[in-house]
Amino acid sequence: MRSCALSTCFVLVVVNLHVKSRGELVSAALAGAWRKSQPPTVNLTQAELDEVVPLLYGSGAGALGWWRVRTTELSESDSAQVLHQAYRLQSLQSVIHEEKICKVFRLLRAHSIDAILLKGWSAAGLYPDRALRPYGDIDVVVRPEQHERATELLARPEVKDCWVDLHESIDELEDRPGAALFDRARDTVIADEAVKVLSAEDQLALLSIHLLKHGAWRPLWLCDISAAIENLPSNFDWNICLGKNRTRRGWIKAAIRLANKLLSASIESVPDEVGVGEVPEWLTRSVLRQWQEPFAINQPPMSHPQSMASVLRHPTTLVQALRQRWPNPILATVSINGSINSLPRFPYQIGNCLTRARRFLIRPPRTAH
Amino acid sequence: MKQNVGGRFPRARTEGLVIQELPDEVLVYDRERDKAHCLNQTAALVWKYCDGKSTVPSIAKRLEQDLKTETVDEKVVWYALGQLSKDHLLEENVTPPALLSGMSRRDMVRVLGLAAVVAVPVVTSIVAPTPAQAATCLGSGSPCTGGVQCCSGICNTGSCA
Repeated sequence: MRSCALSTCFVLVVVNLHVKSRGELVSAALAGAWRKSQPPTVNLTQAELDEVVPLLYGSGAGALGWWRVRTTELSESDSAQVLHQAYRLQSLQSVIHEEKICKVFRLLRAHSIDAILLKGWSAAGLYPDRALRPYGDIDVVVRPEQHERATELLARPEVKDCWVDLHESIDELEDRPGAALFDRARDTVIADEAVKVLSAEDQLALLSIHLLKHGAWRPLWLCDISAAIENLPSNFDWNICLGKNRTRRGWIKAAIRLANKLLSASIESVPDEVGVGEVPEWLTRSVLRQWQEPFAINQPPMSHPQSMASVLRHPTTLVQALRQRWPNPILATVSINGSINSLPRFPYQIGNCLTRARRFLIRPPRTAH
Repeated sequence: MKQNVGGRFPRARTEGLVIQELPDEVLVYDRERDKAHCLNQTAALVWKYCDGKSTVPSIAKRLEQDLKTETVDEKVVWYALGQLSKDHLLEENVTPPALLSGMSRRDMVRVLGLAAVVAVPVVTSIVAPTPAQAATCLGSGSPCTGGVQCCSGICNTGSCA
């Protein structure tokens, strides 16, 4: 009995001594941050908040961080005020962005161009306040036959300041016919301007695959998925969301399970077949490692100080350059259409390297001399 | 900008501003100067009442009604006008009475003393964090593959806006 009590004490001491990694701090700071009310208790000390604030701010999750701590004792601290400033700035930016989106869609509609607004503003609609989710450029997809005309229109001076990223297809959703995306798209309104956004099913698929395609380095993307699965419409069709491709179905399920595991996203309205299942250890580990420093400058190609062509001219730095180019296991898996399961990722990482090497040899990038 | 000597009928500026009202404060972005400001509730109310017709005493009266208080010292209004004027949020510059000119927030708190029943009006600048905190995204002109990598959020044909 006594030894049992002692061992319990030991476990408690060990639990209390557990120092959260920076990735775990991000995870704790953002758990439930997308909810209008009743997020989980903030499990952070002042020192931990001080440590996590630059990570949240630098990865675009500053306003979400503020939303999370705004009703707690931490809210008056200097660190929390940095997050508050992020929220204020994003509040103003969202007004300006909406004006630009309206301008773009008004122009396209005037010329009978069918367009869908992707990610950014559309993802921000999943949150209780659009200011919680930052967005910069305006991602728009048009029907392929209208792409050329749309490109011409968007080069006009009156929309030059709108920074439109125009697509004729969505890579992440290449398993489903483009026309079906337009058929399912929903109509919404921004300041009296009619705008189309993806259906809830296609949007969740896009957010999930986009997260994995980019190696899940940005915590905000997992918040998007969490917000989406907690706000599913009653008529949500999981067959449409998951699609027919088995590998991609597995990717979407993995992203949803990851949101549940790392950010405590509720999977109450998600069928067990989708939401319940093991998240491979390598996947969790890899995401938390990315969240240690979730910044754009750490992502390829910016994380490569020298181009490969330049490295080959000065091979003394070859080993270091290869190490810098060793791919994130998530990105590697998705890049070569691999399945997300508990098997080792090494073959996928080698496969990714070989694919990139082949591309490099066929068409080496130009470098400055 | 004109000079409204004595600030008899202050008028809020409306052109070139983006205004976002939040529950406890009002945010204002000045497109011409590329500056963002945050007005606390008292400053926001004073700004709202600057309609070009109301005098300082009448603005003080309206503050009393809105804030459901017995008396609002005119100094509170003058102090708010001074800050709004400094941040170019009024159509015409306002010159506060000599007594209040150059008064800091701390001085204001002292002058109003414990009798102050409303929060001191405050207009603060909203600024992005220092470079050390923000050096986590790519600056203007840096090569990029997507908007998410850029501090501006915009990747335009391979380089950050």
